[in-house]
Amino acid sequence: MRVTICIGSACHLKGSRDIIAQLQTLVKENHLEDKVDLNGSFCCGDCVNGVCVTVEGQLYSLKPEDTKEFFDKEIMGRL
Amino acid sequence: MGVTVDVAYTSLNKFKEVLCGDKVELLQTEDSNIMILADGMGSGVKANILATMTSKILGTMFLNGATLEECVETIVETLPVCQVRQVAYSTFSILQVFHDGEAYLVEFDNPGCIFIRDGNLVSIPRNVRVIRDKKINEYRFKVKKGDALILMSDGTIHAGVGKLLNFGWLWEDVASYAVKQYRLTISAARLATTLTGACDELYQHRPGDDTTVAVMRIIDRKPVHLMTGPPKKPEDDCVMVYDFLSGDDTAKKVVCGGTSANIVSRVTEKELSVSLNYDDPDIPPIAYIEGIELVTEGVLTLNKVLKLLRRYVKNESVTEEFFLELDKPNGASMVAKMIIEDCTELQLYVGMAINSAYQNPGLPFDLGIRQNLVEQLKHVVEEMGKRVTVTYY
Repeated sequence: MRVTICIGSACHLKGSRDIIAQLQTLVKENHLEDKVDLNGSFCCGDCVNGVCVTVEGQLYSLKPEDTKEFFDKEIMGRL
Repeated sequence: MGVTVDVAYTSLNKFKEVLCGDKVELLQTEDSNIMILADGMGSGVKANILATMTSKILGTMFLNGATLEECVETIVETLPVCQVRQVAYSTFSILQVFHDGEAYLVEFDNPGCIFIRDGNLVSIPRNVRVIRDKKINEYRFKVKKGDALILMSDGTIHAGVGKLLNFGWLWEDVASYAVKQYRLTISAARLATTLTGACDELYQHRPGDDTTVAVMRIIDRKPVHLMTGPPKKPEDDCVMVYDFLSGDDTAKKVVCGGTSANIVSRVTEKELSVSLNYDDPDIPPIAYIEGIELVTEGVLTLNKVLKLLRRYVKNESVTEEFFLELDKPNGASMVAKMIIEDCTELQLYVGMAINSAYQNPGLPFDLGIRQNLVEQLKHVVEEMGKRVTVTYY
């Protein structure tokens, strides 16, 4: 599964670094390195909302504090 | 063949002084580069004023084609007379290198220019002319690629006098150290910093005099093309990218901006891959596109680049630590390093589109400042003695 996190200017300011760190830890803890491929991307065109995260082509808007919930639902939920 | 130069200088202020009594002017005419170093008598404000006036007068008059006699005349007539010493005095050196390789050196009372060619010291003959009772050395010669010319104030040869060294750092010893460092360092900036750094050591970090080293290296042209921001009209995407990628292969290409990177990737049909490695938590990671030297995020990175360049131009704390900062693998350091050390002319390709999301007052940083940043970038790079052109889309 391909997950991309936007690290463009606006998303960076909204905490993409924090989200990436959390996701990397969660992937590791759940031993999903082979299944989940974390990537960066530049501007996804949805700068108005939260940090842009794409899971298999579908765009989500995330806040750092919602990362765990998002991981459980959208990533674990799809596996 | 056109001659291009890499110029840089660094100064140490006399211990406890806020202002430097040495002044360097870097100028360009249509067909030449000029480097002027003036050392005002005394220290602090007085010396600073004398040196600034001298270098500015020389620079302005030279640019307008005045003769050396006229320049010296004007300086003698204009400089304020010191009340303590009853003289108006500032030393100066002028180095003008024409694009056809002709060079012209004028020296008045500064330590002699250090001229390095093929890794060896070349002596500069004395050819003294007296103008208004001032003995001025004049030398016309030809430069070639690889030459390095170093102008300095007498703070260098006085380094350590009476403390670590009986008679200071003798010119011959400064010169042989410069020759050795010339082989190790790649850029004018690093060479100048290493030399003033050595002086600072000899002064035990308490310089007894203002100390300045100005370096000019004769090198190949090193154009850098930097693209930032999407064009106002999306239909101009291709034009902008083609312009940005134009020019010979020697031009290094840099993209600063997420959307810009996406545009370049789309137009060139080369994949964009974004790294997740944060070297500096304040700056987004860099990315890669085949054929592009460097890809970074836009305004946050450029803002940091500007800070680094300012620090360099203002000569604030440009020590070896500054270069360690420049060597870091984050986007801002990498762009700044390229502009300082690997660039003789900068061509900026700037998109004027406004991202409406950036007008959001909820963001902790004003992102809608790209054009402002670009203007500041242009000024600061010009102050470094490099040519800058800006094209807006």
